[in-house]
Amino acid sequence: MSKVLIKGNEAVIRGALLAGCKNFFGYPITPASEIAEAAAYYFPLLGGTFLQAESEIGAINMVYGAASYSTRCMTASSSPGISLKMEGISYLAGAELPCVIIDVMRGGPGLGNIAPEQSDYNQIVKGGGHGNYRLITLAPNSAQEMCDLTMLAFELSDKYRNPAVVLADGIIGQMMEPVEFPEPVQVIPERPWAVRGTRDSHNLVCSIQLDPDLLEKHNLHLQAKYAEMAKNEIRYEAIRCDDAEHIFIGYGIVSRILHSVVETLRAEGIKAGLFRPLTLFPFPTPQFDAFAKDPNIKSLFVCELSAGQMVDDVRLAVNGRKPVGLHTRMGGNVPTVKEIIEKFKESR
Amino acid sequence: MSEAMKAADYKSELKPIWCPGCGDFGFLNAMLKAMEELQLQPENTALCSGIGCSSRLPGYIKAYSFNGIHGRVLPFATGVKMSRPETTVIAVGGDGDGYSIGAGHIGHAARKNIDITYVVLDNNIYGLTKGQASPTTPLGVKTKTTYYGNMGTTLNPVRMLIAYKASFVARTFSGDPKHVQKMLVEAIQHPGFSFIEVLSPCVTFRGSDQFKLIREKVVYLDDDRDLSDEVKAFDIANDEDKLTLGVIYKQIRPTYGDVIRHNVIERARAASNGTPDIDALLKQFQP
Repeated sequence: MSKVLIKGNEAVIRGALLAGCKNFFGYPITPASEIAEAAAYYFPLLGGTFLQAESEIGAINMVYGAASYSTRCMTASSSPGISLKMEGISYLAGAELPCVIIDVMRGGPGLGNIAPEQSDYNQIVKGGGHGNYRLITLAPNSAQEMCDLTMLAFELSDKYRNPAVVLADGIIGQMMEPVEFPEPVQVIPERPWAVRGTRDSHNLVCSIQLDPDLLEKHNLHLQAKYAEMAKNEIRYEAIRCDDAEHIFIGYGIVSRILHSVVETLRAEGIKAGLFRPLTLFPFPTPQFDAFAKDPNIKSLFVCELSAGQMVDDVRLAVNGRKPVGLHTRMGGNVPTVKEIIEKFKESR
Repeated sequence: MSEAMKAADYKSELKPIWCPGCGDFGFLNAMLKAMEELQLQPENTALCSGIGCSSRLPGYIKAYSFNGIHGRVLPFATGVKMSRPETTVIAVGGDGDGYSIGAGHIGHAARKNIDITYVVLDNNIYGLTKGQASPTTPLGVKTKTTYYGNMGTTLNPVRMLIAYKASFVARTFSGDPKHVQKMLVEAIQHPGFSFIEVLSPCVTFRGSDQFKLIREKVVYLDDDRDLSDEVKAFDIANDEDKLTLGVIYKQIRPTYGDVIRHNVIERARAASNGTPDIDALLKQFQP
């Protein structure tokens, strides 16, 4: 099977259709608009719905409706648009509805700019909306993974009845790369809980629990579900970590740069390795715990396109047992290999 | 085919907790009768709401119900209809939910002609939060948030919906359940976005004389005119000395779903000499 040269954003929609997604509701925003544009072309052709909502809030609530009553559905946006959707995302998580949300991150805060950043880490991985909820968060670093992780997001979202987010940065969304598309998903899980059925059955979808004991019970159920995700769904890529003394950590476009950093350092005789979380939630905490216990490992070094958000999770996992260095760029700037190596060497 | 459903069969096990004398009781009874008249199948009916006194209504009716986010009933109902087109979708809410926090959504559901029915039980006040001014609270009226009298002019929802090109606009009064039932039946049968403004008094926060005051202003329309005459419809809406009840504006035009089917699917069928082959389309991704 040959490969297609395609933008990451368009690969998302092809992946979604291969995963059997039937409904797309979205609103234009740079650098995510190509996702809605591709959906506008493909979804109706395949018998699904594309609808350009009047607002981001409109779009997430259309997803809320479609997810409650029907089959696979999705929306896509970029950072400020995702902020607008947060109330709806909290309701979707509370009501335990599967859906896929694509966030192609841009520079913030505020209007910021349309250049790539990774500063939505906290609003997606830590919450953003109200209440104790978690979102399954997948971090692609190529156009291929924009397709593959979108498909995986639909699977995990259905498996756990939980919204799943594909957290990409502006470069991954905009970059064109060869992609090989997999076979369409043949079996889409039944949704016996959905608000549809027969006269004798009655399903209720809601996120309200007025009784404090019942709401606490619901929260405990959600927390148990998140623990189950942490047990089963951690995904990562480790390159040359086996004999590494220094572990470089990054996701999205940063991991591509860190790969070059690792190869450059190896050529200099420094034993470097790359660790790239594919799941930001659940976070690969056990793997970091193992790094912290490994006597061969001298340091960890995190690089992010934010003020340093993921590094908090790395530090929590390492818990002071190893030095954790950090280099960040913001505003849409992307670090060079040379720059990262200099910062790494300064930190030693 | 199962046995015919009676109005009482559509009642859920929940008892309404509206205040005694609330206008919403009259609407609920009319709604149950309209469901009987249309023989709506509960398993094929979606009642959607946001937050407010009237947004509790779906809980009192046996159908698939959704109590969603404040102000977002129309996007929610749109999502249901677009993903499950065979479902009869009825969105219900109050004047705060619909005309204030959710007002931005109305025009778009209307102009896209999403095939749903939107009922606003308008009591001119925020009732569930115990008596603050809403967009339809009359000018000068004192509420808990308008100590010195309401300073904003009152929204005229019927005029707003005609301006938005809603394809069916009606007004009715919960003090006349038979009329409510008639409007509901016509609105649900209407192909496209249908809107009903229901005058539904809040006796607790707007006073027990509301029914009487409304009744004094009520005038009934007959259908003996061109319902698609927009100028006439505006004239009716603009006459604020009266409360004209009936179908004020109606226009038949394609729904959003119709347009998708005709513009895209039919063309794809024609281009592929018959049935569009989904597998073949997906195979385009894998040359």
